[in-house]
Amino acid sequence: MKRIYFNNCLTSQPAPEVIETVTQNMNNNYYFPEDFIEMGTKTTKFLDDSKKIIADSIGAEIKELHLTSGGTSANNLAIKGFLTANSDKGTHIICSVIDYPDILTNAAFFEKSGFDVTYLPTDKDGFIDLNDLKNSLRNDTILFMTTFANHTVGTIQPIKKYREILDAADHKIAMFVDACEAYARIPFDVKDLGIDLLSISAHKIHGPQGIGALYQRKGIILGQVQHGVDRIDNLYTGGLSIPSIAGFAKAVELAFDNLETNISKIRKLSDNLLSKIESTIPYTLLNGPRGRNRVPHNINISFDFIEGEAIMMMMDMYGVSISTGSACASKGLKPNYVLMALGRDHEQSHSSMKFTLSRYNTLEEIDYTVKKLADVVKELRARSPLYKQ
Amino acid sequence: MQYSQKVLDHFMKPHNIGKLENPDVEATEGSPACGDQISIFLKINPDSLIIEDIKFQSYGCASNIATGSIITDLAKGKTLEEAKKISWKGAADALDGLPAVKMHCSVLAVDTLKKAIKEYEVKHGLSQRETFSKKQIVEELKKIIYPGVGEDIVTLKVVKYVGFEDGIATIDVDIPKFDKYRENVVEEIKEHLEHYNEIKEVKVTI
Repeated sequence: MKRIYFNNCLTSQPAPEVIETVTQNMNNNYYFPEDFIEMGTKTTKFLDDSKKIIADSIGAEIKELHLTSGGTSANNLAIKGFLTANSDKGTHIICSVIDYPDILTNAAFFEKSGFDVTYLPTDKDGFIDLNDLKNSLRNDTILFMTTFANHTVGTIQPIKKYREILDAADHKIAMFVDACEAYARIPFDVKDLGIDLLSISAHKIHGPQGIGALYQRKGIILGQVQHGVDRIDNLYTGGLSIPSIAGFAKAVELAFDNLETNISKIRKLSDNLLSKIESTIPYTLLNGPRGRNRVPHNINISFDFIEGEAIMMMMDMYGVSISTGSACASKGLKPNYVLMALGRDHEQSHSSMKFTLSRYNTLEEIDYTVKKLADVVKELRARSPLYKQ
Repeated sequence: MQYSQKVLDHFMKPHNIGKLENPDVEATEGSPACGDQISIFLKINPDSLIIEDIKFQSYGCASNIATGSIITDLAKGKTLEEAKKISWKGAADALDGLPAVKMHCSVLAVDTLKKAIKEYEVKHGLSQRETFSKKQIVEELKKIIYPGVGEDIVTLKVVKYVGFEDGIATIDVDIPKFDKYRENVVEEIKEHLEHYNEIKEVKVTI
């Protein structure tokens, strides 16, 4: 049975071209950058070429780009690095209650070390009230953190509007953006949006696992979080996989050479998935915004009267990979915090299913998935004491 | 974490699923807010006290459905006395085991069966409702499984003190601050005890 994969927000299948690039580089290009000797200078040049491809894709310069071992390491280098280096200017930071765990756990960490954190609430679609943001700014606010595209419901945050509000303050407030979910799903330019720090990751765009990047705008000072030998990156010290960097650059090329085509293909597939689910399965509820304020690859939908782990497992047995916000399937047995923050109740959170698509999905896969999903939902509802026909 | 093949079989094709028309007794435990609920329906022979038919409905995950299925298998054709001896550990064993974090499903299924049997016995004068005391609170706490190891919080000595005075239940538990199931256990204690009309307030101290 061919697996139908809708967990691209967790991690995505590497593109065949990426696998080929990584393999080739494992054979021929395994050295670290070094001066004066052939293997080293070759790697230095190769590294610069790869970094240029990645930097160009977000509108950054090579010097502003750090390579890291993934999104989470980029997030930690950015947040910890910024706050430790800039705490003399203030100790107040702002984020929202639905941000990615990397932001929330870092915020909690700094809260314990004496920082003040404002956790802004959001509306039912996942947007911060702009007035709330304006009112939360203080003289000692130094950083605003946000998740460009929400990892659960796909809400695209209006970064430019946030920047305008931050700029209206009488002192500089930096903006950190976790863009791992938005990268290669919506076009953006860090300069145009006024972003100071931004993280991206390769494995969510059909690149290799274990490689990512951090954009550090010129003039933004970061403290050293990870100490050690400077092999590839002065911030992410130690070694990084050169073949993975090559694979990252290849994945970026593949995604960005046809960015608009890829985006519209994925948007068409997810529109199709949503409309088919809504027209064939009764008692459903879309979580997050409808339409263009949502990243093209995310559909999150609740199915009344039944529980998500059961749906996930049955679909898995039919060869379809999807995920759920149910407490039963979570490590701490807690319902999904994003859905709860958006005002969904426990039942709606337990019954929520997340589909995250990629350019490799097809309309045939969508048809098969909705057909099986309709059967699964019908079967589980027939077993449920909550469902009265 | 993985389910046994037997859990998967019972999940995909549960036995005795559905509702019984005109059952002699039915019971429901759990709540949709907790993510699992189970209803059990019994037909009991009034002379032999044998469970002649049993069905269940489930709102919950794979292990909730599988434990509902296995306990209906275990109880069918048994006398009430025999059925009362079905334990959550026995039900889990009959499924070739359950992950620790899922043991509470087995507790819920067995508890619902026992509640249905008790209802039947009280209705037919075979037993009496117990007067409420600290003992019942402890029994209720034994139904709460610490998800980390799949054992109940009384046996594990997570519960350090149980008090009951003027309708206020005071439970003292010992769970480290960094424990990821800490909030979960506290919430479970409150949910379990707040069902009792005799308890006006639940105070959990850590």
